[in-house]
Amino acid sequence: MSEIAVKPGRHREATLYHALAGEGAGDGRTLEEMRAAALAAFEREDLPVWRRSGFWTTSFADLDLDALQARTHPADVGVPDLVTQTLPDRPRAGRIVQREGTVVQVELDPELTERGVILCSLEDAAHEHPDLFARWYSKRLTIDRHKLEAANAAFWTGGAFLYVPDGLVVDDPFEIVYTIDGPGVAQYGRTLVVGGRMSDFKVHEHDLADDFGEEAVAGSDVDSTPRQSLHAGAFELYLQDGARCRLAQVQDWGTGEVHDCSTRFVCVGRDAYCHWLPALLGGHLVRHHCELSVSEPGGDMAFRGLFFTQGHEQLDVFAVDLHETGPSGGDVHWRGAATGESRASFEGLIKIDPGAQKTHTYLQAHTMVLSPKARLDAIPSVLVSADDVSASHGGTVGELDESSIFYMQSRGLDRAAAVKVIVEGFFEPTIGELADEPLQGLVREKIASKLAAARDDIEAYATAR
Amino acid sequence: MADLEIKNLHVRTEDREILRGVDLNISRGEIHALMGPNGSGKSTLANTLLGHPSYEVTEGEIFFKGENITESEPHERAKAGLFLAFQYPVAIPGVSVANFLRMAINAKREEPIGVKEFREHLKHAVELLDVDRAFTSRHLNDGFSGGEKKRAEILQMAMLSPDVAILDETDSGLDIDALRTVAEGVQKLHDEQGLGALIITHYQRILHYVKPQFVHILMDGRIVLEGGVELVERLEREGYDQIRQEHGVGV
Ligand SMILES: Nc1ncnc2c1ncn2[C@@H]1O[C@H](COP(=O)(O)OP(=O)(O)OP(=O)(O)O)[C@@H](O)[C@H]1O
Ligand SMILES: [Mg+2]
Repeated sequence: MSEIAVKPGRHREATLYHALAGEGAGDGRTLEEMRAAALAAFEREDLPVWRRSGFWTTSFADLDLDALQARTHPADVGVPDLVTQTLPDRPRAGRIVQREGTVVQVELDPELTERGVILCSLEDAAHEHPDLFARWYSKRLTIDRHKLEAANAAFWTGGAFLYVPDGLVVDDPFEIVYTIDGPGVAQYGRTLVVGGRMSDFKVHEHDLADDFGEEAVAGSDVDSTPRQSLHAGAFELYLQDGARCRLAQVQDWGTGEVHDCSTRFVCVGRDAYCHWLPALLGGHLVRHHCELSVSEPGGDMAFRGLFFTQGHEQLDVFAVDLHETGPSGGDVHWRGAATGESRASFEGLIKIDPGAQKTHTYLQAHTMVLSPKARLDAIPSVLVSADDVSASHGGTVGELDESSIFYMQSRGLDRAAAVKVIVEGFFEPTIGELADEPLQGLVREKIASKLAAARDDIEAYATAR
Repeated sequence: MADLEIKNLHVRTEDREILRGVDLNISRGEIHALMGPNGSGKSTLANTLLGHPSYEVTEGEIFFKGENITESEPHERAKAGLFLAFQYPVAIPGVSVANFLRMAINAKREEPIGVKEFREHLKHAVELLDVDRAFTSRHLNDGFSGGEKKRAEILQMAMLSPDVAILDETDSGLDIDALRTVAEGVQKLHDEQGLGALIITHYQRILHYVKPQFVHILMDGRIVLEGGVELVERLEREGYDQIRQEHGVGV
């Protein structure tokens, strides 16, 4: 465990990415104006390529956008089986499902409707709740930093809008689901969630796709059939004074060539609190910018995350712990593992703005490499512009510990079972923080099945040493 | 034929040879003590018997219940009925003692053990070793004191009912009460289930509670002296130097 305390006033530049940390696109313009501006950016910009000096590149240049369709469905096409098969069957406050370009299910506890909760497609929200929409839409999200962000802002359809009114406490989660059926699809998903003053609620987002890897595409005419799909996502959550939200996002795009380039922004208001936990568990090429901002005094947050890459997946996470005012609190804790020939990069940035005195925050990233060809980098960086603050970061880089494996083997567990115990033990502290049995079960299951798929790699790791 | 037969065992690590021809036979129902100075190769022998990947057998063989296990995977040896109580047990965060034991027991069985059967089995072992019940819901060895780790080793042994167990300095780090509990536990498993044991120790005191029939002295990778309990007393009196001189080992 290395731990570095950062002296007040000391600046360390983020190595690759920049925090959003400013006003968004929603500055009084109409939706049409913003779409037009985004379209101009889309036409101007190239597909994004991010290069960190020397050793890391995240490139969407191989994405064949022309071969992809922003496919929409008749609204009554129904919820894909995958959703019913994957999501835990559990009590929920509501659910909205977007299949490719179309919202195919909106379900809300009628009692909550009566109490003022709004759950609908973002398209509907723009028409039916114009004031709320105008006030919050893209308030902190930008629309023109790169081609895929612009594509989302220009082309999004469907979308999810959730509004929880002041003072309302909802125990069961709201589920927001994005699904992709197969290759050849560009999904531009857009979510806006607003928690009114003193509201208290939970949001579970699920991102999933049917497996359309090698086996599924085999047999078809390889040249003319697209293999890729795209999810370009934008997510924003605003918590007003004293609101509390637990936000969990479970992403697993399966074995197909799903490219995911998304930005998520959570804004914590005065005395509000957010517990945010993205679980990134699969995708061919995934680039996530997750930014959690404490924007008003007294705000507090816990930012947890986990990721697990396998096969040839590539994952690039940029997590920002942004403090715009003080006093504020932050606590960032991510865990990630990589197997196969996958590559994962986690960059965590603590950014404390000049006005954010009396901020206390800590960022840690723990990683574990499970196969000889996997690569995993964890890069913490800190940008502090206030002097009465404490900010530090730490982390561990782990490999499979052979003495632990031998210990378990000496009790009768085979190597794969022993590795499973270690990896599950590694993730368990984060999974425990989901504090939701059905969701925990789902994440554990996904980790177990990824481990089972990686069995050969893990064996190879033993012999390579 | 003994249950565990060690024949002319030579073992090396990456940089040097540590065991230089060890012969030892242990059967169910027998209690053996293995003593020897620091660095003589006791733990190396123990780890090699369970197939630790850091130790290479360059010559000789290990048979267990008639099968040559020299090249077997560690978990196969465990399933065959060998057990090692580690000198330095490692922590396994994320899994409770009880869940780990359930996994280990199930690894040996076709059908998973029933909830009730497991619970009773665990209750029995917990009582035998006089540990707090809450102990079994803690993560295995994670933050355990030295003594707790040693107890956890013997608790696992009691649960897994091996035929032959190697106890590598299980007595070190135990206070006098814990030592008695643990040693009596071992004796009981021997008396009731016919456990065979190789007790590696530096001290006479554990042998007050568990009575070995055979005592072996390991020096510089070889067993240089064998006998009964009287050897322990002699060792306690004279130290290793005397023996070293007599048997001309190590300069
Ligand atoms: N994995 C290893 N790699 C390199 N050297 C090793 C390894 N294991 C043991 N050794 C060396 O082999 C020798 C015997 O060590 P071993 O641990 O078997 O001794 P021991 O008799 O158990 O000693 P102690 O009474 O201190 O526990 C020592 O010199 C030790 O440093
Ligand atoms: Mg030793």
